[in-house]
Amino acid sequence: MNRLTKLPTLRIDPSENRSLQYKGQTYQGVAGDTVATALYANGVRVFARSLKYHRPRGLYSLDGECSNTCMQVDDIPNVRTENTLLKNGMQVKDQNVKGSAEFDWMGFMDKLDCLMPAGFYYRTMHKPASLWPIAMKQVRNAAGLGKIAPDFRMKGDYTEIYPRAAVCVIGGGAAGMTAALAAAESGLRVVLLDARPWLGGCFDYRVSAYDQEKALYQRARELAKAVEATPNIRVFKHTAVVGVYNNNLITAFQVGGESDSFNERYLEIRATSVVVATGCIERPLLFENNERPGIMQVGCAHRLARTYGLLPGNQAVFSIGHDLGLEAAADLFDLGLQIACVADIRADGQDPQLLLALTKRNIPFLRGWVACEAHGSRQVEKVTLSTIDGSAKRQFGCDLLVASAGLTPITGPLTLAQAKLKYDMHTGYFLPVDLPAKTHIAGRLTGLQHALAIEASGRLAGLNAAADCGFDTAKSAAEAGQQLNALPGPERGTRLVSAPVKGRKSFICFDEDTTLKNIKQAIEMGFDVPELIKRFTSAGTGPGQGGIPGHNLPLLVSEYQARTGAKPIPTTVRPPLVPTFIATYAGANHDMCKRTPLHDLQKKAGGVFRRMGVWRRARYFSEDFSCREEILNVRNNVGLLDASTLGKFRIHGPDALKALQRVYVSNMAKVAEGRVKYSAMCNDDGCVIDDGVVVKLAENDYYFTTSTGRAGETVEWIRFHTRYDGWDFHLVNLTDAMGVINISGPNACKVLAKVADTDLANEAFPFSSYREFTIRKKIPVRAMRLGFVGELSYELHADASYMPALWQIIEEAGQEFGIRNFGVEAQNVLRLEKCHIILGQESEQRTNLLDLGLGFLWHRNKPDAKTVGAVALRQTEKDPGRFRLVGFKMEDPQRPPRDGSIIVDQRIRGYVCTARKSFTLNESVGLALVDAELAALGTRLEIFEDECNGKRLDARIVPMPFYDPQGERMKM
Amino acid sequence: MALTISCPNCGKRNGYEFRYGGEDKGPRPAEEGLTPQSWCDYVHMNNCVAGIQKEWWCHKNGCGAWFTIFRNTLTNLEVEEPEAKL
Repeated sequence: MNRLTKLPTLRIDPSENRSLQYKGQTYQGVAGDTVATALYANGVRVFARSLKYHRPRGLYSLDGECSNTCMQVDDIPNVRTENTLLKNGMQVKDQNVKGSAEFDWMGFMDKLDCLMPAGFYYRTMHKPASLWPIAMKQVRNAAGLGKIAPDFRMKGDYTEIYPRAAVCVIGGGAAGMTAALAAAESGLRVVLLDARPWLGGCFDYRVSAYDQEKALYQRARELAKAVEATPNIRVFKHTAVVGVYNNNLITAFQVGGESDSFNERYLEIRATSVVVATGCIERPLLFENNERPGIMQVGCAHRLARTYGLLPGNQAVFSIGHDLGLEAAADLFDLGLQIACVADIRADGQDPQLLLALTKRNIPFLRGWVACEAHGSRQVEKVTLSTIDGSAKRQFGCDLLVASAGLTPITGPLTLAQAKLKYDMHTGYFLPVDLPAKTHIAGRLTGLQHALAIEASGRLAGLNAAADCGFDTAKSAAEAGQQLNALPGPERGTRLVSAPVKGRKSFICFDEDTTLKNIKQAIEMGFDVPELIKRFTSAGTGPGQGGIPGHNLPLLVSEYQARTGAKPIPTTVRPPLVPTFIATYAGANHDMCKRTPLHDLQKKAGGVFRRMGVWRRARYFSEDFSCREEILNVRNNVGLLDASTLGKFRIHGPDALKALQRVYVSNMAKVAEGRVKYSAMCNDDGCVIDDGVVVKLAENDYYFTTSTGRAGETVEWIRFHTRYDGWDFHLVNLTDAMGVINISGPNACKVLAKVADTDLANEAFPFSSYREFTIRKKIPVRAMRLGFVGELSYELHADASYMPALWQIIEEAGQEFGIRNFGVEAQNVLRLEKCHIILGQESEQRTNLLDLGLGFLWHRNKPDAKTVGAVALRQTEKDPGRFRLVGFKMEDPQRPPRDGSIIVDQRIRGYVCTARKSFTLNESVGLALVDAELAALGTRLEIFEDECNGKRLDARIVPMPFYDPQGERMKM
Repeated sequence: MALTISCPNCGKRNGYEFRYGGEDKGPRPAEEGLTPQSWCDYVHMNNCVAGIQKEWWCHKNGCGAWFTIFRNTLTNLEVEEPEAKL
């Protein structure tokens, strides 16, 4: 097809080629084309088949208001090709067809419409109930939109931004741009959003005069230039608003262009004030076969020519209800379109200038006439026009029928902002009766058609928005208001929805194949509210989100209810206002994690890292994931562990002890200076949420640790549970400020003694005590003698910045003993042998302190402290129906069960928490939570593992701990 | 998502920055004489007001304070004062 390449309004670059693949052929388009316009340029008229009846569908709105041109692009189904810019090499497929869009074997479905009356789904296929599964399969086969491959992976980059704006203007037409400029005069941050890839709105493609010198499109470009040159206006083009929430939160998504770093980008804008200048879309005209390919809306035909350089047909008939239709007819005639006739549903009220323009071009004009039937099987070939009352008919041959009943404002953003809409008899629009706070409307949305009035309303809205942000714009706003009042106000609109037809093939909703007849059936069945009729007939529930039937449905319903005097009531609009990829909502998957101060050293030492909670930690130090060498080295020699991920806190102030008494189950008043106290925190159900150690630094000054996973919530937790008390204490989270090195093994003392400036003898620094000293006269450390892994062990806490140095000093000192790293997995096995629990492994949400056998930590006699969990512990103390933590040995010493395997007899009786092969004991041992009645020593447990082929693994409950039951090795 | 909350230290901020701490149920009851039922009611039961309720929030991604606000659960908007009960 020949392009009109010389038009000044074009948004394509005819000199730059783009190509796509469709039906095994390469089709050529140009830069700036959408997928749909490129196909149209290559003569494609049937783009898809409809949902139910497999009727051929073609280009209709050019803004993606219906599913007519939804296709599969690069394996993504249901892509709105009208809104998708063409990129080289795109693979395009038609969808919901058996055969091709032009020749669909399922086309016979169109003749079966009498079998599918309104709501036939709900009414027929459930009697008998067994019919439904069979019917469902057939329905799914015959109907539906695109199909997605099960192994499909979304390609591309999806990002998100959260711009803050004083004023957010939705709609980049003349009104929106004027509003943005007016608001920006005060120096405010303004964000301007437009769904199309350029600014200009309905001025952009029109050559009618704006004033004596300029055409509308020139004015649009002039405004766009001014907007782009204003530094405090941030413009987002190709950005569709999908949601508006309270406090003026606006969500949108932007489609990336060729030079953008993202494919789509999610925007969330918090604005002080919002201007909605979304303009209008066309209200479809209903007549028989009103969606045949070759029938399109006025804007679609006009923009195809003016924006994309494609003359939409050869011989056209117009059936319109608005001056824009007359303007388009005259303009398209000048561009070379032959026009057989222009029928206007209005009896009067046309702009005389436009009528004169038609007369000058010898275009036949019919007042009060309307298209009542389109003929032609795959494409329109002929059209029957009739008078509004159906008394006279005429036929015209054509390959293009431009049809539109009138205009309807895009009120989606307003209704989402909770504005109530009311039908306005003058404009025929649903207009907001009361706007939400700090929300303004401008432009064609309000019914204005005059170019200067559109701009004046934009300026007024922009000034009012600035006033919302605290600027005194009263004077200029009053001037703008006067100016607006002097200009022509909202114009009269049309009400007609349908030509005088029975409506068997008059489609009110293209996406869901809902006809006029279906609506009548629903009303006859007793549905009287548009909202319910919408549900029952599914009109407006398709991908177009009600763009096609949204306005017509309530009008139609009220027309049928004319006798009762019912007013049209619009149906509810919900986000997203336009279809959006879930990938866009999901955004980029940034794997954000923390690294310990020893990360690099551990990496150099061959650490194999794993993600654990918010951290990346060295789990292994060799490819032997059983960690045999690491474990034996700790048991027989000395090992070094980076434990910096432990939660570390200081609490101090007059009420610090009270706060600790509240959250810890033990009696924290008993914590003596120089000693380490192990305790646990429960929640209000008595379930254990955290364990750790507390040391007393001074009076009402404590240092305590939490498990790695709880570090983030601890401050919040303590403050929450003391929120009513008004206690005076400070909590400092030192987790990231300090690091921890654990040095463990029989030789630990010898290594540390070489570098520590203190006496490490057992009497001077015994087990379970706390000391502060320096290493090499320089590095201050807080040291605790603990025994998590069951050996002589020191935990050194030091400032994060000292950690690498401290680590290297100890490593160097330990060289003669053969010191080596051990990772988190080795520690896991070591502590398992010792039956020291790790919360989250040996516990889950329901596990309480007593279940774990930690009841000895609980101090019952501090009711005044109102300890969190104490009440619940008392109440569950004698409950026999709980799990108990037990230790077990496998009968086959070489075969530990997998963590999480279930323990069964005739039913599930518990589960394995952790189980490992113990090299120290040469046994396979584990910890499990089992029903209390199975918890006796010697009980045999049967363990069921995934894929164990019915062979259960046998274990026997044994005393805990498995290793060094007297605890002598920690104390040596 | 659209909720904004006024932190007593940091001012009006995005709802994302806060953690909800439940309805305002008053201080922890004395342990003496609590039945499992009354304890469970305090910990787990809510009034679920359709209207204005006083509730706790923590400015977790800010100053870390716990404080109460009044929120209209029907509009999901923070309100200054509870309306006088009729």
